[in-house]
Amino acid sequence: MANGVTLESLRQSLIRQEDTIIFSLIERARFPTNSPTYNESYVSSPTFSGSLVHFVVKETEALQAKAGRYANPEEHPFFPNNLPPSVVPPYNFTEVLHPPAALININKDIWDMYFKKLLQLFAAPGDDGNYAATAASDLVCLQALSRRIHYGKLVAEVKFRESPQEFEPAIRAKDRDALMKLLTFESVEEAVKKRVAKKAMVFGQEVTLNNNDNKGKYKVDPSVVSLLYGDWIIPLTKRVEVEYLLRRLD
Amino acid sequence: MAKNSLTLESVRHSLIRQEDSIIFSLIERAHFPINSPTYSQSYVSNSIPAFSGSLLRFVVKETEAPLAKAGRYANPEEHPFFPEDLPPSVVPPHNFAKFLHPPAASININQDIWDTYINKLLQLFVAPGDDGNYASTAASDLVCLQALSRRIHYGKLVAEVKFRESPQEYEPAIRAKDRDTLMKLLTFEKVEEAVMKRVAKKAMMFGQEVTLNNDGNHGKYKVDPSVVSRLYGDWIMPLTKHVEVEYLLRRLD
Repeated sequence: MANGVTLESLRQSLIRQEDTIIFSLIERARFPTNSPTYNESYVSSPTFSGSLVHFVVKETEALQAKAGRYANPEEHPFFPNNLPPSVVPPYNFTEVLHPPAALININKDIWDMYFKKLLQLFAAPGDDGNYAATAASDLVCLQALSRRIHYGKLVAEVKFRESPQEFEPAIRAKDRDALMKLLTFESVEEAVKKRVAKKAMVFGQEVTLNNNDNKGKYKVDPSVVSLLYGDWIIPLTKRVEVEYLLRRLD
Repeated sequence: MAKNSLTLESVRHSLIRQEDSIIFSLIERAHFPINSPTYSQSYVSNSIPAFSGSLLRFVVKETEAPLAKAGRYANPEEHPFFPEDLPPSVVPPHNFAKFLHPPAASININQDIWDTYINKLLQLFVAPGDDGNYASTAASDLVCLQALSRRIHYGKLVAEVKFRESPQEYEPAIRAKDRDTLMKLLTFEKVEEAVMKRVAKKAMMFGQEVTLNNDGNHGKYKVDPSVVSRLYGDWIMPLTKHVEVEYLLRRLD
């Protein structure tokens, strides 16, 4: 992927990932909050500790690790400790990232953001008993968010390669603020926020054969999707970019 | 899903919502190329001693096990693809309304859905190629399979509601075990045409490139709307009606 990775190809991927994220939120919104899913004492069994979502994510990741998912540097597990090794033949994913910086994993922050802040903004209150399906649905959201946010490493690498002299002084000075300024383009961020709101309207509308008048009802509130990007996805991605660049000269 | 609230209208409403789920799942699968090692019998059999079969089979089987423990299949709307040796649920049982007639409730045609998906459907909407993401591809396939399975097995609910509305309409054919007559009673071509049109429209809406500039999509969609139409017309609706017929045949047991 080394020669094929450009800022433009990364941008295309990030745009495509917007659809993935919005679809995942729409599918999660199919279920109400279903709080037993997140309750640590809901299940009391010797083979089971923690909340249902904790169990489902951990077990699913163990299986996916065996199947080779985390050999792809774009994928990051939420429970990396004790992950079983892959049993499939290794695939030659192109090494693009600078190794000391490649290990960044901020999934803990993504997990907290998702469960403590985001979920309540778009899941309706209530309980329909589908806790396992809810947890599986949460995992799809978490994985989509994680992939997008950690894409900051690729973005940072490409930006660095394009003009290393622009970043080197701030990296050597460990100046996070200066790096953050270099990575921030407000008009681009505003455009992203507008576009994801528009996508939430298009993908979350009720499509019928009769007419296109949706009466403003969407499966996920477009302003919540905008907020998700503006308050969390974009800042967390830039945080990954900054942390990556700080290790880039190691 | 309370007993009293299940009507043909609420069932129809759920089926319409499930169209979105199915189309999203196809669009997400189409993000990956075909990645044929995912389906190859020999790709993993050398690496996993006790396992024979494809990576997809491995991922689905091993994913269903923790979901079963977590109670997923207590919901009669959910059907595992590998029901043998599924671990029991360890969560408190949720009181899912018992709506279906027990002798008929155990129908599971997931084997047919699996075969149709892998052997017929995939090649219609997935590009050739290989990007190495076999595990993610399999995970993506599972989402599609689960969405298709839930929709097709919804035929049991549809059949039950229809039967309750007018049992005398169905009883003669059930007693005569007359599948053809039952199929005719369950087929409404106008409705099916409308479904095929609507899912094509949804595939256009959800699969388009949404930009801030203009809405001219140049006819490019992430999944071909006519493929989605065909999926419904050739497979989803016939298989659903197959479930309805099989359900009704056991309804008087």
